[in-house]
Amino acid sequence: MKKLTLIFISIFAIGSSADSILLKGGMLHKGTGEAASLQDILITGDVISRVGRNLSIDANTKVIELNGLPVTPGLLSPMSNLGITEINALDVTRDDESFLLKAGFSIFNAFNPHSIGIPWNRSNGLTGAISSPSSSDFPFFGLGSFFVLDGSLDVIGTKDVVMFGRIGSSYGSRAETLELMESLLELGKKSGISPVEDLLDSALAEQFNLQAQDIEALGQLTNNDLPFVLETNRAIDILQALKLKKKFNLNLILASVEEAPMVIDQIKASNTPVIIDPMDNIPNSFDELGSSLELGKILDDAGIRIMFSTQRSHNYHLMRQGSGNAVAYGMSYETAIRGMTKTVAESFNLKNRGSIEEGHYADIVVWDADPLEPSSFPSYVMINGEMQDLASRSSKLTERYTNTEDKPSSYKH
Amino acid sequence: MKHFAPLLIFIFFIASCTDTNMPDEAGLKNTDQSIAFKSTYKPMASESVLFKNANFYDGLGGEFLNYDLLVSDGKISEFRQGIVAEGVKIIDASDKWMSPGIIDIHSHMGVYSAPGVSTSSDGNEATSPVTAEVWAEHSVWTQDPQFALALKGGVTAFHVLPGSANLFGGRGTTFKNVSQNTIQAMKFPGAPHSLKMACGENPKRVYGRKGQSPATRMGNMAGYRAAWINGAEYQKGMNEDDKNDRPTRDLAMDTLKGVLDGEILIQNHCYRAEEMAMMVELSKEFNYKITAFHHAVEAYKIADLLADEGICAAMWADWWGFKHEAYDMVQANIAIIDQARNGTGCAIVHSDDAVGIQHLNQEASKALAAGNRAGFTISKAHAMRWITSNPAKAAGVLDQTGSIEIGKDADLVVWTGDPFSVYSRAEQVFVDGALAFDLNDPKVQPITDFDLGIIQPQTNRVQ
Repeated sequence: MKKLTLIFISIFAIGSSADSILLKGGMLHKGTGEAASLQDILITGDVISRVGRNLSIDANTKVIELNGLPVTPGLLSPMSNLGITEINALDVTRDDESFLLKAGFSIFNAFNPHSIGIPWNRSNGLTGAISSPSSSDFPFFGLGSFFVLDGSLDVIGTKDVVMFGRIGSSYGSRAETLELMESLLELGKKSGISPVEDLLDSALAEQFNLQAQDIEALGQLTNNDLPFVLETNRAIDILQALKLKKKFNLNLILASVEEAPMVIDQIKASNTPVIIDPMDNIPNSFDELGSSLELGKILDDAGIRIMFSTQRSHNYHLMRQGSGNAVAYGMSYETAIRGMTKTVAESFNLKNRGSIEEGHYADIVVWDADPLEPSSFPSYVMINGEMQDLASRSSKLTERYTNTEDKPSSYKH
Repeated sequence: MKHFAPLLIFIFFIASCTDTNMPDEAGLKNTDQSIAFKSTYKPMASESVLFKNANFYDGLGGEFLNYDLLVSDGKISEFRQGIVAEGVKIIDASDKWMSPGIIDIHSHMGVYSAPGVSTSSDGNEATSPVTAEVWAEHSVWTQDPQFALALKGGVTAFHVLPGSANLFGGRGTTFKNVSQNTIQAMKFPGAPHSLKMACGENPKRVYGRKGQSPATRMGNMAGYRAAWINGAEYQKGMNEDDKNDRPTRDLAMDTLKGVLDGEILIQNHCYRAEEMAMMVELSKEFNYKITAFHHAVEAYKIADLLADEGICAAMWADWWGFKHEAYDMVQANIAIIDQARNGTGCAIVHSDDAVGIQHLNQEASKALAAGNRAGFTISKAHAMRWITSNPAKAAGVLDQTGSIEIGKDADLVVWTGDPFSVYSRAEQVFVDGALAFDLNDPKVQPITDFDLGIIQPQTNRVQ
């Protein structure tokens, strides 16, 4: 069985532009959290070669005047089903569940770069995403991978960058979930010492029919700092999660955390980043009675690193609207931009992505207006230095049905 | 993590039985809300208020800068520049924007209350494909914390529908967004009921799995037609002069008869273009009117037909992909419906969602921008119709609310800024002239019984 090490697959799009492009005079939000300023960005090949004012260029450099339009790094979704689920309510179009594997379930090889959700989200400013398995009854759902959303069959991505899990209301007891999580993490620890073949004979492995991949993946959590996104909401459950983090020295990322404000000091002290949906203020369960639109502000004020999810499957770009709402309720603007870009890259070890810095891949979005306004839209989307087509199946349908020629729609193309 | 599909599809029948003039001996009078289940709504106490120097979207397409608005006895009594009034409360609304209260034509608040647990799952009587006899209002939980959250988003009235599991899901009811302990006290006075019908995947999935009809879209159609045949016979029978010739009273048939009599409005969950067109044919076969298609992800494909038939489409700005019939989403859907037949289309932004209902202004903003990107020229003032007067029309309450006009209910929102900006919030929300929510005054922020002391005895759920 393959070792689940982090494999960085650097197969870049064929035909990267040899010439340079200068994005001139944009209002640059670098994604680093620093305030925006007017800057030029020089792109050479697939990377950002210079950021500054009045950059010197050669005659072969294509200049695009931005006239102060906002510029951000390409947005990165920390939790999506892009390329893994075409239609939620149609099982045969989904690859996010395994009937064999648990913690070791990797969706990487199921990724479909031709899923229509990819051009749609890309045209809305998303240039990369973590795609993840769906939740299951088991405390660890499996492994998510990172994908660059250029739609190429030469998939650019990073396999198995994160494990997902959950603590909360279930058919059993969360006490049992916690107990089981601990036992599984102990098993993972042992995989650093004993051969996995031996651990497969353990009572725990036999009881849950664990496979070698499951135990190896658990070992990545305990022995190799694999990021672990743990969805939980109730204040006391968050504290339980932080205890697990401490005990097993986990690279923990808390997701959802609707009751985080009640345990804000402990989250801060543990230096744990979070993924939130800033628009979800509904107490959907008895685990999240403390949900509020002020969650983002409270986390930001505490200096906790924040990323954004969205409830809307297929529209991961709507984290822009979510973060805009977080700003409306008091989060700082640059925290919001950082949360959709550099914080994601940092948290999931996505090298040279997520911010507009020299030497980074040129994943850049130029916006027609304030990117946190849901009414705004990209003017340019660049991935690995390549300008992307902003068309999508949706835009093609729009063209077809705003075409007033008198003929059947099937002939309007 | 599983990315749950949004609440899949809810279909309601809303039947409005107010003000029927059926003779007592027809035996129908007790289906009529004039006898039972009638609205006991009373506006909260209010004083006369004069808003000075605000900018207004009137909900009918108009934009008025530096205008004044006077509210007396809960009604809009004057709307012009330079109003002078004595002995009234004056609110300086300089540089603020005001709009009519936001209205959602598609809500399941109260029938799918929060927390979303099995004991509060009261929106789909998914036991038979035809349940025209049930009324969503009979499921509503008055302490649903979602009502107060919607109020914070500027929502002053909403239409609660049953879900969409059934061909005929039951009646829907319009409510004022006021906190009361009985359903009757929240019911919008004089508002008609609706009847929810549902096309497509949901009914055929729910019943097909049980091995019964409908299991296909053609089965759906057969199911509607069979029911309407019964409804038409029942209507005819109830109109017999000799009461001995009349059929025994039947709740489901009462609802269908109400539709055929024009008293109950059809709210029809339907995604695909050809299915909506088929439902139009069905309405002609049985001589009833469809008020609005809901969700209508493919409405843009038949925009002219809907405009010609005078049928509204209530849509999301951008939901898609959670089911097959929601695959062909275009963000310009709302604008295309709006602009059909020289701008005579009736477009509505709906939520079907407890988060979405709090931000209908943002959803309208996305739809507006997408429409203008698609080549239309639509103003913000015009787009305000999509979340005010058009849903009021579809709920049958446009005479009372949904626009800023003299004599209408003073259902109003004062926004902190441009209502179409993500950064703007409802600062004050008035229902019938009474201040129901004030962003800056915790005493004027409703806290339901559910919210009260639930986190700690001294800590309410909504701070």
